Amino acid sequence: MTGAPIIEGRGLTRSFAMPAGAVTALGDVDIRVDAHDYVAITGPSGCGKSTLLHILGCVDQPTAGSLVFEGRDVSTLKESDRSRIRLTRIGFVFQRFFLLPMLTAWENIELPQAEAGAAKPARRDRTRELLDYVGLAGRRDHRPSQLSGGEMQRVAIARALANRPALLLADEPTGELDEETGAQIASLFDRVHGDGTAIVVVTHNPAVAARAGRHLAMKSGRVITS
Amino acid sequence: MTAWGLAWRTIARSPARSVLAVAGVTVIGALLFNMLLLSRGLLVSFRDLLDNAGYDIRVIAAQGSMAHRPPIADATSLAEAIARLPEVESIAMVRTDLGQVSAPGVNAAWTPIELIGMTDSKGGGWTIVKGSPLPTGPSAGEPPVVVNTTLASMLHLEPGSRLRLRLTSAGSASALPLVTVRVIGVGGFAFEASGDLNVATTMAGFAVAHGTPADRQAEMVLVASRPGAAAPALAAIARLRPDVRVLSNDQVMAQFNENAFSYFRQISAVLSSMTLAFAFLLIATLLTMSVNQRLGEVAALRALGFPRRRIAANLLWESALLVGIGGTAAIPVGGVLAIILDRILRQMPGVPARLHFFVFEPRTVVLHAALLALTGAVAALYPIWLATRLPIAATLRREILS
Repeated sequence: MTGAPIIEGRGLTRSFAMPAGAVTALGDVDIRVDAHDYVAITGPSGCGKSTLLHILGCVDQPTAGSLVFEGRDVSTLKESDRSRIRLTRIGFVFQRFFLLPMLTAWENIELPQAEAGAAKPARRDRTRELLDYVGLAGRRDHRPSQLSGGEMQRVAIARALANRPALLLADEPTGELDEETGAQIASLFDRVHGDGTAIVVVTHNPAVAARAGRHLAMKSGRVITS
Repeated sequence: MTAWGLAWRTIARSPARSVLAVAGVTVIGALLFNMLLLSRGLLVSFRDLLDNAGYDIRVIAAQGSMAHRPPIADATSLAEAIARLPEVESIAMVRTDLGQVSAPGVNAAWTPIELIGMTDSKGGGWTIVKGSPLPTGPSAGEPPVVVNTTLASMLHLEPGSRLRLRLTSAGSASALPLVTVRVIGVGGFAFEASGDLNVATTMAGFAVAHGTPADRQAEMVLVASRPGAAAPALAAIARLRPDVRVLSNDQVMAQFNENAFSYFRQISAVLSSMTLAFAFLLIATLLTMSVNQRLGEVAALRALGFPRRRIAANLLWESALLVGIGGTAAIPVGGVLAIILDRILRQMPGVPARLHFFVFEPRTVVLHAALLALTGAVAALYPIWLATRLPIAATLRREILS
């Protein structure tokens, strides 16, 4: 590991208050992601993988520990600042894609750029570039309901990359796909990583995990091997 | 893409739900529009009637009201004194009584009528549609009368027709003469109710019908002030005689507003509030259901970095679009409904035929739009709170598990 990390968490802990008492989903986890890292997080269901990913993505806050994103202590940031980081520096890929169903592939990819304030010509160029990148130039005007699962996930990846994030977070990106389509998505992640974007992927898929440069195995809210 | 654009796509995505929502807002909006028209319709219409009668001041006996007008003693002297005031342009005296008429050779049966005696130099009480108005000076021979169109139609009267007239004042019927009067005109009477049968004549004709010389009485003196001199005229008339009440059109309106019209205003206020409450519930329910169906999308947008204000703006625009389209459609629908309801209400006995319950005013459209916009904004508050406060991570997890 060299240079300043994109994100670094120390002693990350996340507890949830439950009627029967607090449940610790994540306990004292240290993690550091550098530029050009490709990290796979694996483990059984309920082991805290997604919780860790959400904390790294600044959509959830740890109940203990510290998280620093590009030199800024996330816990001290306002919600609007965390939103801005998510919009411009982090890309999210979800298991269920969560594309906006009323928008076309083009519009889904253009939307985060518009929100980030990109000018229309720049948005147009970037959207065209990303559709080419994920191999869906011919489906630009198709709505999610007119796309296959693999195509939807490729649009979702293009959307996540729209604002050229430093870090791409993916939560079970192949969880809804068959093996062959999952392999295509994994290859796309390889390419994204090869082009310089750090990736953290939570997965149950050994084939996807095997492609990562680093592998964190989790159990009961803790990292057991790194 | 703007929040407006995204809201439009969201609505267009579920056409059936959107059409139902817009239809609901249209129906509710039409009712609201009707109630707003009703809230001021009578006032505006009655004011219009008063103003178009050509007189802006009304003088009645001190113990009377606009609905019950006992005679003013020596009204002729009062009218002459008023006419001499420099602030006054013209005056007219008015008397009314109940009577019966029959048309010899056409219809021998006696038909009940209201007889109006008036010295009207302006012709403000009626609009002549056939024949000529009442003479302003003395006329020889049979008293001239103007009959309203309903009576003319019923008895087939034309200018030149003869009528037999007898008054039926309580207690004095046996003493009252039977007189023949000459129809010189047919007109629409400003304050006649649907089905009313009216006969107007000169004050001299009125006295003939009573079988007495002119007794210098009147129930009301109508005064037209000179332009810009209404207030000084009002004060000057009040100084002339302490035993009369001098009312401007504004004061007449206030009297009616406090009494007869207040019921309609209260009904309108209650029903307007109810329709707004329904509009609020409809929009709030639709938006809340819409948000609940899209929790995953909303959480994903938040995870992608869309700020809360953007999510709120989307929902506000959705609400604005539903209310805007439905509220706009509500205006013509409400207009048609108002015409139908107005026609029904105007058939009530005693309501002047030219009085309208529903009167269109530009300000009503503005108020309608403002109330609906406010309701739409308030109705969006809960769904906005729901969408912007949802825990992103927990929602994403729940959506995956479901």
